[in-house]
Formats: sequence, structure tokens, C-alpha cells
Amino acid sequence: MKKSTRKGFRLNRRGFLKATGAMGLATAAGGFPGLVKAQAKEILIGSIQPVTGPLAVIGQGQRRAAELAVDMINSKGGIRSMGGAKLKLLLGDSQTQTEVGRSEADRLIKEGAKIIVGAFESGTSMAIATLCEQRETPFLIDVAALDDITKKGYKYTFRIFPTSTAFAQRGVAFIKEILAEKRLSPKRAVVSYVGDAFGKTQGAFFIKHFKESGLGIDIVEEISYPLGVPDLSAEVAKIKAAKPDLLFPICRPGDSTILTRELYKQRVELMGIISPGSPGWYEPSVIKDLDKLVLYVMDNVPWIFPESPVYKEANDLMLKRHQAYLETNNGYAFTAILVVADALERAKSTDAGKIVAALRSTNFKDHPMVGDAIKFDENGDNLGATTAMVQVLPDADPLKRVKVVLPKRFAQADYVFPAPQLWERG
Amino acid sequence: MKRLYLLLSGVFAVLILLPLLLDKYVIGIFVMIFYYAYLGQAWNVLTGYTGHISLGHALYVGIGAYISTYLAQQLNLTPWVGMILGGIVAVLVASCIGFLGFRFGLRGVYFVILTIAFAEIARLVVCHIKPLGGFAGIFLDFRPSFYNLQFRGNVPYYYISLGLMAGSVLFVRLLEVSRMGRLMIAVREDEEAAQALGVDSFKYSMLAMGISAFMTALGGTFFANYVYYISPNTVLSMGLSIELILRPIIGGLGTALGPVLGSFILTPLSEISRSYFAKGGLEGLHLILYGVLAVLVVLFMRRGILLYLRRALAPVLRLEP
Amino acid sequence: MNYALLLQLTVQGILLGGIYGLIAVGLSLIFGVMGVINFAHGPMMVMGMYVSYWILVVLGIDPYLSLVLVAACIFVLGYLVQFLVVNRILDFPEAMQVLPLVAIGLILENSVLLLWGPDPRSPKTLLGLAAVPLGSATIDVSRLVAFCLAVAITGSILLFLKKTDLGKAIRAAADNRTGALLIGIKVDRINNFSFAMGAATTGAAGALLIPLIPLSPHLGHDFTLTAFVVVILGGMGNLLGALVGGLILGVAESLSTLFVPATMKQVVSFSLLVVIMLWRPQGLLGGRR
Repeated sequence: MKKSTRKGFRLNRRGFLKATGAMGLATAAGGFPGLVKAQAKEILIGSIQPVTGPLAVIGQGQRRAAELAVDMINSKGGIRSMGGAKLKLLLGDSQTQTEVGRSEADRLIKEGAKIIVGAFESGTSMAIATLCEQRETPFLIDVAALDDITKKGYKYTFRIFPTSTAFAQRGVAFIKEILAEKRLSPKRAVVSYVGDAFGKTQGAFFIKHFKESGLGIDIVEEISYPLGVPDLSAEVAKIKAAKPDLLFPICRPGDSTILTRELYKQRVELMGIISPGSPGWYEPSVIKDLDKLVLYVMDNVPWIFPESPVYKEANDLMLKRHQAYLETNNGYAFTAILVVADALERAKSTDAGKIVAALRSTNFKDHPMVGDAIKFDENGDNLGATTAMVQVLPDADPLKRVKVVLPKRFAQADYVFPAPQLWERG
Repeated sequence: MKRLYLLLSGVFAVLILLPLLLDKYVIGIFVMIFYYAYLGQAWNVLTGYTGHISLGHALYVGIGAYISTYLAQQLNLTPWVGMILGGIVAVLVASCIGFLGFRFGLRGVYFVILTIAFAEIARLVVCHIKPLGGFAGIFLDFRPSFYNLQFRGNVPYYYISLGLMAGSVLFVRLLEVSRMGRLMIAVREDEEAAQALGVDSFKYSMLAMGISAFMTALGGTFFANYVYYISPNTVLSMGLSIELILRPIIGGLGTALGPVLGSFILTPLSEISRSYFAKGGLEGLHLILYGVLAVLVVLFMRRGILLYLRRALAPVLRLEP
Repeated sequence: MNYALLLQLTVQGILLGGIYGLIAVGLSLIFGVMGVINFAHGPMMVMGMYVSYWILVVLGIDPYLSLVLVAACIFVLGYLVQFLVVNRILDFPEAMQVLPLVAIGLILENSVLLLWGPDPRSPKTLLGLAAVPLGSATIDVSRLVAFCLAVAITGSILLFLKKTDLGKAIRAAADNRTGALLIGIKVDRINNFSFAMGAATTGAAGALLIPLIPLSPHLGHDFTLTAFVVVILGGMGNLLGALVGGLILGVAESLSTLFVPATMKQVVSFSLLVVIMLWRPQGLLGGRR
């Protein structure tokens, strides 16, 4: 018998029976829809960020980081356990409004999103969390600190960002470490915070933990000011009158610059400025605008881990594409996609129940942030989430000035404390 | 007239049957259409019919939302009753504002600013009230049940908001033809003349304030139990006050169907323009288009689209011109 | 009573108040002449800020020096707005006047967002960090310069209105539109000019604020409300009243931080507003109403 020169599968009777049998088994095993799903080439992830409205700068940064993560994962073969399925982001804009965020989540789920990621702002995240619980779709929160979000017993909500409690505990611990090591005992401190949901909560948690810490420092003044206030001269006058050794400011980008400049103008003497955890101190635009004034400010924020290979790769790409670096907010947006990909890899399916189970059992180490492996507790909070103390240190390149100084095992440089006064920096 | 009613009944019947054909997301859009139409209608009762302009109506939305939510959380009181209580408080607050405004003769722009001032003061004060969540607001518990006015799917919300909207249209229509309504319109057209004819403009203005506030507060309770999160910046904000007047103004102020028409035009427009533009990195463009549209409508269809539509359809519907 | 603090707060309040006054002058002028409440006033100020910022970044000219150029740009903007939109709505019922201006404010705000992005910006300026001691208080030089310029500009506008022919024509049109028409004053042109001037002053105020506040597209809204409060305080249409009202508001807001958390600052201003409206709606310096 002549051997067939055709390569590949020969459709003779035996082959045909084998093929039919195999198909029959597969269909029986997965059900017809199951057969179709396993062939899915694209997995849709819904990404909702506040890309317009007052938080737009952060929302846009997060969106870019998420897109970067998707590109990186796809270029490495996508989700291998699902036949190299590629991830695709469906974009949503929450406009920083709760009902819009909710509606966007509904829209993205309708368009096929198997999991929602977002939404930077706590209020919108709460609305989306409830919606996802109603629609039985997993929701992974990239950045939102309010403890309450995960206290509703929702099955479908997970969060990788540290909670306000975690912020406060770590912040106080770092301060203790610094004062003990430098053998300093300041006596008076002032806490200032922007009077919105974020500022007030961070402030309240920090003050509570600080008072319980037994550091022997009096918080002599708590100063709050409205979000978007044009002028902080009155507030800084009050800070100066309180004669503090330390200032703990919680800001939004925008008021950090006027606060610092006002401190300079009114010659407020301080040992140092340590933020318990707030934006406004590490953004490239702030570093550039404040220049020498923002040097030596310390900020207790969840941050990227500079030695992480994942970070290096992602950061290089970020610098090339957008001339921006990975920091807290976009770093976590980036990480959220990695966590989703990891869960999909283990779930081997886009079924909501399987994704949730996979998320529950997450133990993810290959992320770019400071902290241990990402693991979720029964509320959906990340046990490995932690903050780092970063400091703005002198460097010729403004993009390299923000460095991790604590915990020591993640540190890039030694911290400087006490700091030279704002007007003595030449 | 009969043909018009026939048409409206037809539309209503279609709306009742729509949920069978649509998916959750689109049903959700309709919920927002009905909801904003209803709020606009509530505002219309005051501004469209007595002519007193309020730019602080978010105050009543907030009152309804916060009171029913607080009572539900603390006393497990059903929002169906909570909304009535919220409405009553809204009436009391509106009466104070109305009293101050009307008794002191604040007209036009001064009254507008008075309403803005009260709404802003309320917003800032609530930010500092801890039991109401302060700046962080209140994250509602999700306990779906009819008693709690909370549901898993969007369909029940659809029917409730449809009911609110349709009910308000009927109410306003009845008001229009009633004595009370016609006296309110008299106040709007020329307050001094009306007074000269013996109309107690103060009484009718106050009535309008109260009714409007009550209706608005009910909407606030609905919203709270649909979105599950309320905060001073979402339910007491100036942005909301502006948002809710857009639909009646574009659709037709002082008409029963104006707010509905306005909502059917604006809400889908904003939805489409957002999902279309926000993707392309042209953030903010859709709001610019929104603004341009609003300006064009006001400039060229100043009494609102409804009246132009009516004129166009008059021969078909056999209406008096 | 910490007198140093009190002095500092009062001085700062006065200086800030001067700028509030300048912003409000524009609003008052527009209302006085046309009876229109310019809800887009804040966004126009923001536009002025961004134009000035852009000149600073591209040409390196400090905001104080480019002030006239910025005012001219916003003048043109105001003229366009008046010509295209406001002129047509002058006879509309008031509810219908609110909407187009709110919409224009929305358009301006989002144009800024589209062109410059949402990042708050705080550029370095010549005098941004300079401060001068006054007893136990320190005076911010940029605030002082802004104050002086604000007063100077307001003063020149007042002089302009009193002494020049065009100025008198504006006042005539404001007092009695029909009468002005009858004696041949081209009221339309007057309206265009007044609105443009109102816009220009507020744009200039924006430029003066660059060393003091971070720029962001969404600032406009709060400033519109502040301008309202000032104008009601001083009297609608009364320009000197706008300046005085600004000073009063500035000091009141500043001193209120002694008694009330700063986040309640606006409650103080709004309460002041309500009281004035009820007790003396024509404002402190207003005439008959």
C-alpha cells in the first residue's frame, strides 16, 4: 500500500471515528457552551477609572498603567492555561460620580467583561461593589483605602490596596523607628488634612493610632481645609502659632504646593515634614514645581519596590511610552491586572465562581509593589499590603528623586532626618 | 386631544413592556432617564409654574436620601415610610426658605442665590455631622427585599422610577387644569397683577415650594437605594442642582411632558457621548458637546423642544395650535 | 488671644479680599449693565489663568508683566460670548438665561481640561516665594502685588466709567436702557463692550492668582460662588461695593478660621450672604432697589 504523502490527519474510517469520539467526549465533559468557551481568544476585563472630572490626572495615569500591563501580559503569551487567550480592556469612565460608575460597570458587564477592576475613588468603588454583587461578577479594587468597602460581607469584592487602618499602623511604626534610631524626642506635632472623605479618614485613623502609640508627642493642632482651597495662609499661620516640631500633612496634589510655599514664606521651623499617607508629594509635576522645597519630605505610601524585576520592566516601558514613572496609584492599577491574569491562569475559565475561587486562593509574589505576596483574607482585603516610607532626596534627575527609605529591607537609600529648613536649602 | 392621549397611552404601554426585550444595562439607562425626568418634573412644579427659580434643589434630594437611609440603618425602618418622612422634612425646610424669600420680597436672581446658599450651607454642615457619615458619606447595606426598597436586578427599579415619572406627569397635568395650578401660573406670569386681582401669591408660592420639595425628596430616597452610596458631594451638590434643571428647561418649562422629553433626549445623549468619546482619550469633549447643545437649544428653541414638537405634530394629532 | 496670629490673619484677609473684589467687579459690571448673572464668570477667570500660564511657559514672561495681554485675550473671549450668545438671551425669562451661561461655563472648563490636561500646576514665578515681615506677621509679596494691582485696576475702571464718554454711555445704558436707546446710544455695542470688560477684569484676576493658587480646570465653580457673595455684599452693579465687599469677605473668611474649622469657611460666607440679602438686599453700598 502506498503511503499517503499528505501530512497531518488522515480522514480514513479509523480517524473519523477517533475524531467523533473525541468531540463527543469533550462535549459531554464541558457541555456545548463549555466547548465554545475553551476556544475563547480574548478575555474581557472591565477597567473603570475617573478619567474625567477632578481626579482625571490620576484616573488617566491608572488607565495607562492598566493598558501597559495588558500589553505586557499579552506579549508574553497571554493566559497560557486557556490556550494563550489574550486580555482585552474594556474602558469605562466613572466621571467621579457614583451612579455613572455603577452604570459603566453594568455596561461593561453587558459588553462581556468577566471581571471589573477600578475605581480609585472610594465612593464610586462602593457603588460598583454593590452592583457587582448584584450581577455576581468579581470586582477587584486597585486603589481605595476606606475600610468600610470590604465590611459588607460581599463575596465578589477584593482589594489589593492597604486599608486606612494599615496606613495608620505602618505610618506610626515608621515614625517610631526613625525617632528611636536618631534618638530624637520632639514634643509637638500638627496634623493637617484636606477636608474631604479621603483626608478626614486618613487623618482620623492616623491621629487615633498615633495617640495610642505612646510616643509622647502631643498633637497640638489639627488643621483641616476644604478641598480645592485657593489659599492656605490662614491655616499656615495657625500651624506656625502652634510651634510644632513635626508636621504631618495629608494633601491632594494642588494643596501640597501651596502649603509648602506658605510654610516657606512664613518661616515655619520644623524638624521634618512626614505625611501619614497622601498624594501630593511624589508626583512628577510636584517634584518639578516645588524643586528644593519638597526635598526631604517623607510620605508613608504604598509604593513600588525598585528592585523588583517586574517593576524595572514596567517602569522602563512607562517612561518610554508616557514619560511618567510608576508610583502608588498607577502601580496598583498595574498590579491589579497582574493579579487578574494570575487568577485567570489558575481558574482556567472565565466562569465567575471559578475566578472568585481562584482570587480567594491567590498567593502572588511577582508584583512591583513594596510588600509581601498578595493574599486575600475573608473580607477580600490584601494581607500582604503594606506601605513604605519614601523620601524625596536630591538627585540631578527629578524623575529619580523619590526613593524608598523604609522598611530597610526594601530601601534604596538612607533617610535624612531631621531635614534642613525650607529656606536653608540654597 | 384624544389622539394625543392615545399616543401617550401607546408610549406608556411600550415602556411597560420594554424590560422584556432589553438587557440590564439598557434598563439601567432607562431608570436614569425616568429618575431625572421625575426630579426635573418636581423642580418644574416650582419654577415652571410659579416662576421662582431654584438652583438649590439638590438640598431636597439630599434630605430625602439621608433621612430615609439613616432611619433604615438605625431603626430598620422601611424606606417606603422613610421617604414620606424625608418628604415632610423637605417641606419644612422649603417652607423656611420660601418664607424668607417671599416675605422679604426676594425676586429673580436674589431668590436663586438664596436657594444656592441654603443648599451649599446644608452640604457643608452635613460634611461635619458624624452620624451621617460626614465627608465620607454612607455606604448602604445591600439587603435586597421589597421592604428595604432594594433589588438585585434592574427591573424593579425600572418600574418604580417609571411609576414615579408617570405619576408626576399625571399630577402636574391635573395641577395645570386645577384652580390651584392656574393661580400658580398667574403668579408666574405677573405677580403684581395677580396680587392686584386678589390672588394670595405668597400662599401659592409656598404651596408650590412645598409640593416641589416633597416630590424631590422621594426621588432622593429612590436614588440612595439604587446606587447604595450617598455623600454630601453626590446628593447635595451644586452639580446635581444644575443637572436636574437641564431636562425641564430643554424639554419645555411649565409643561407636564417637558421634563420627560428633555430626559429622553439628554440622558441617552450623555451616555452615548461618554462611552464614545471617553475611550479615545478625548476626555472632556463630551461635556463640551453637551454644553454646546444646551446653548443651541436655548437660543433657537427657547420655550423648550416640546412646544416646537407640538407645533410640528399638531396637524397629525389634531391639536389646537 | 494670639495677637500675632490675629494680625497675620487680618492682613492676609485684606490682601486676598482685594483679589476677590477684582473678580467680583467684572460680575457686578455685567449685571449692572445687562441684568445677566454670568454663571460662567469663574470659568472665565480660570481661562485667564491658563492663558497667562501658557504665556509664562512658552514665552517665559511673568504673569504680572503679561497682565495686559491676558486681559486683552479674555476681553476678546468675552466679546465673542456676548455677541454670539448673551445678546440673544437678554429678553429671555430668567430661568432660560441661567442655562446658556452655565453651559458656556461647562464648555470653557472642559476646553481647558482638553487643552492642558487635569494636572494641577503650580509654576514657579518671579515673586512666588518672596515675603516681607510686618511686625510679627509676614506679608506675602505676590499677594501684596496682586492686591495693589487689583485696587489699581478697579480704580481705573471706576474712573473710566465716570470720566470718559464711553464710560458714561455704559452707565446710562445700565440705568435706563430704553432712555439710552432713545438718545442714540448703541446699546448693543455697549453691552458687548461691558461684558467683554467684565470678562477681561476677571481674566486679569486669574493671572494675578497664578503665584498663589495651583491651576486646575475645575476651580471656576467655587470662584463664581465667591463672586456672587461679594457682589451681593457690596451691591449688584456697584463697582466700589464689589471691592469693599471683597475686602469684607476676605477678612471674614480669614478670621472665621479662628472659631470654626476651615472646612466650614464657606458656611460663614454663605450665611453672611443670606443675612445681607434679607436685611439689606441692595448691598452695603447699593442704592435704591
